[in-house]
Amino acid sequence: MAGVAAVSGLPSLAHAAGKPVESMTLLTANAGFDPVRPEMGRLITQACKKIGWDVKLAAEDYNMGIGKVFNEKDFDMFIVRWTGRANRIDPETFTAMMHHRDGNYNKWGYNNSRVNELSDAQQVEMDPQKRRDLVLQIQETIYNDAASSPIVYPSMTNAYREDKLKGVVPQVGEGIGSLWTDIAATTSTSDGYIRTGQTSPLKNLNPVSVTDSNEFKELRMIYDRLLQVGPDGSIEPWAATAIKAVDSTTVDITLREGMTFHDGQPVTPADVKFTFDYHKQWKAPFFISSLEKFESVTITGKNTLRIKLTAPHAPLMINFFAQIFILPQHIWKDIPEKVNVDDVLKFANENPIGSGPFKFDYWDRGKELKVSANKSHFRAPKCAGIIRVTYGSHDAMAAAIEAGECDRTRYILKPALVEDLNKINGIVGKGYSSHGWYGFMFNHLRGPLQDPIFRAAIDHVVPRDVIQAVVMSGFADKGGSVIAPANEFWHNASLKARPSSTKKAREILAAAGYSWDSSDRLHYPA
Amino acid sequence: MFDYILRRLVYTLITLFAVASILFVLFRMLPGEATMQVISPAMDPAVQERMKAAFGLDLPIWQQYFIYLQNLVTLEWGRSFVSAQEVTSVIAYRFWNTLLLMLTGLCLTLTVGIGCGIWMAWRRNGPLDVGGTIVGLIFQAAPPFITGLLLLMVLSYRLGLFPTGGMYPPGQRPDSLLELLIMPAFWERIVLPTITVGAYYLATPMLVMRDSMLEVLGSDYIELAKAKGLKPRIVMFRHAARNALLGVVTLASIMVGFAVGGQVVVESLFSWPGMGQLMVESAAAHDYPVAQGTFLMLAILVIGLNFLTDILYCYLDPRIKVSNTGLT
Repeated sequence: MAGVAAVSGLPSLAHAAGKPVESMTLLTANAGFDPVRPEMGRLITQACKKIGWDVKLAAEDYNMGIGKVFNEKDFDMFIVRWTGRANRIDPETFTAMMHHRDGNYNKWGYNNSRVNELSDAQQVEMDPQKRRDLVLQIQETIYNDAASSPIVYPSMTNAYREDKLKGVVPQVGEGIGSLWTDIAATTSTSDGYIRTGQTSPLKNLNPVSVTDSNEFKELRMIYDRLLQVGPDGSIEPWAATAIKAVDSTTVDITLREGMTFHDGQPVTPADVKFTFDYHKQWKAPFFISSLEKFESVTITGKNTLRIKLTAPHAPLMINFFAQIFILPQHIWKDIPEKVNVDDVLKFANENPIGSGPFKFDYWDRGKELKVSANKSHFRAPKCAGIIRVTYGSHDAMAAAIEAGECDRTRYILKPALVEDLNKINGIVGKGYSSHGWYGFMFNHLRGPLQDPIFRAAIDHVVPRDVIQAVVMSGFADKGGSVIAPANEFWHNASLKARPSSTKKAREILAAAGYSWDSSDRLHYPA
Repeated sequence: MFDYILRRLVYTLITLFAVASILFVLFRMLPGEATMQVISPAMDPAVQERMKAAFGLDLPIWQQYFIYLQNLVTLEWGRSFVSAQEVTSVIAYRFWNTLLLMLTGLCLTLTVGIGCGIWMAWRRNGPLDVGGTIVGLIFQAAPPFITGLLLLMVLSYRLGLFPTGGMYPPGQRPDSLLELLIMPAFWERIVLPTITVGAYYLATPMLVMRDSMLEVLGSDYIELAKAKGLKPRIVMFRHAARNALLGVVTLASIMVGFAVGGQVVVESLFSWPGMGQLMVESAAAHDYPVAQGTFLMLAILVIGLNFLTDILYCYLDPRIKVSNTGLT
């Protein structure tokens, strides 16, 4: 029988040869934060016991857990939900950021030279097809290595009043809470405003300091972007009619003509250049890493700009151009000086003026945001406006939909409530495809988790069938590759979820030299 | 009297200083980084440092403490880490929302509680006394989310008599407090949370009033009043109830403080944007300035009301004399 060192090439495990595999802890957020995660954790820990491995569940406060993983790096395994944010349509997050040795998310010590090389290569490959080939290979390597274990791909569970709301346009990862629904839908309510429910309060209206998808979703109604992520995850022109890569480090932008800010001032290339420079000057948190790759921004014509990059950077289209908000220079050039703060991050921007499809009316912190349709916009909304209402809980929001006080949900509604609402006449409750996933993540620097064979065996014991059917009420697909099938272009369709099988897991472990003692406790290879 | 008030004022300020200091320490003992909620921990460490520097979190703790104390005194409570709004404006708005809810709830509970307490004592051991005690204790034992949820399920979801929550209909924000108060939709929305709050606190003033009344009813002057042939209603209200009120007055001041800070569940259930919700949101988001501000505001309210109660005591009960050592 081959020893651990021989099997996995991990000399660090040689000292453990023949010893019992140590007990470990699976960390999750508690049920108060997400009722699904502790349930998944409970099922996984029980399944691990079936292969003779003792795993304890620790359901903790979300912040504390995040701190343990990302700041202290003090964890064995954890369950996380990687939400289907629009910018995560680009493969950068799930490949390079999570699995490259130097990736910002990679706090779990995964280091595979092939993944590192391929990740580096895809970042600078500007040809989408060639980049796709690299991304498919990365997924395959990660899968074979069982570097992360996608448990399920959860649907975006939403509900809306079918009897009032017409023309909803679901978007991958966002469901009917998308901008496309905001601009395309109409409502039969007397004032024409779409009541949109959300359980998380809106926190901020400053487009420079924004980092949270909650705020991005509201600010994108008020501020235009150069590009938008379309309903199917592709890139669609928006304020820019074209963004062309002249070569690998030169990008030309053509700005749409005739756009105006909500105060009547025209949107010009100078505003776009100012936006880039301003974000760079103030080190805008979300954009700082992209902007570091900007060498210069030049206005080249009446409605054109040229960007010179210090190095090629393929994720720029979705992660930067489809995220950054165009600022009116005539307002922001005096900020923060004129508003008595020393840093733009301290600016509340309580009366945001952009050029987007909706104009700001008011924000009642903790309760609601109201915006009205900008009828002169090139994609003028069909409704009169959007009222985003904060509800205290999922149950309160579901009740408001049932009572007809709320027209749709912006974000996730608990699957069980979606099922209930769908039974009511006039209400549609369903799951929309998403590229996010629930992940079972390993600390690659600890104990048996250093061994890819062990990780692959563990991936086989994850009871995906039960989790999909019971915990997720059917609103999910079983997880395989780190890029979900909903992200069609980048997904490697050859990688399927490993079937849940204790027998198979035991076979894999036995073949690698692992053994069991008389009390069925798992031991490292001798 | 003046010496007494001055001394009480000094004690009050010392207590507030202690509370403010404890709050500062407590929030910094919370697990997790302050910037964690504001910015993804996966982002570049330089970005996190940038956030810390913007809000002064890169300074040594002692320096942050002195800035904090200085800001408290000058009423510059800083800006929210999360929304960048001024803490005082955030708290002020939420405070009034909570106060509206709590005042209506407490008015209901005090009116019903005191009234029932008087009658229960007057008809001691009668059906009203026994029934009232049971009902009051049931409401007190039932967490507000149970009472509130039942009210919502029956009166709102099933019968559709009341809206499900909020302070006003979506999209119809009033421009002023007065406009809010004359809005029928506001009063429709405040009914259920008011009943929830009122029911939860009902037992306390009711039973305290009952006990005080029983004590007073055994006094000689009540016997004398009865012997004088005064009408029972006059004996009950003018002679007994007024003197029995002292205990409830003390209680009411404490109840206001607890009610303002303790209605997290009611506010969440009825989507009421008040102080309770703000406390939870800001503490969970490590938004130190707002979290400290909300708790401090609560402390000011409770301690301030205690101070006023002490003074009110002297007015309500002429038997209480003020000596150099305080109350005798």
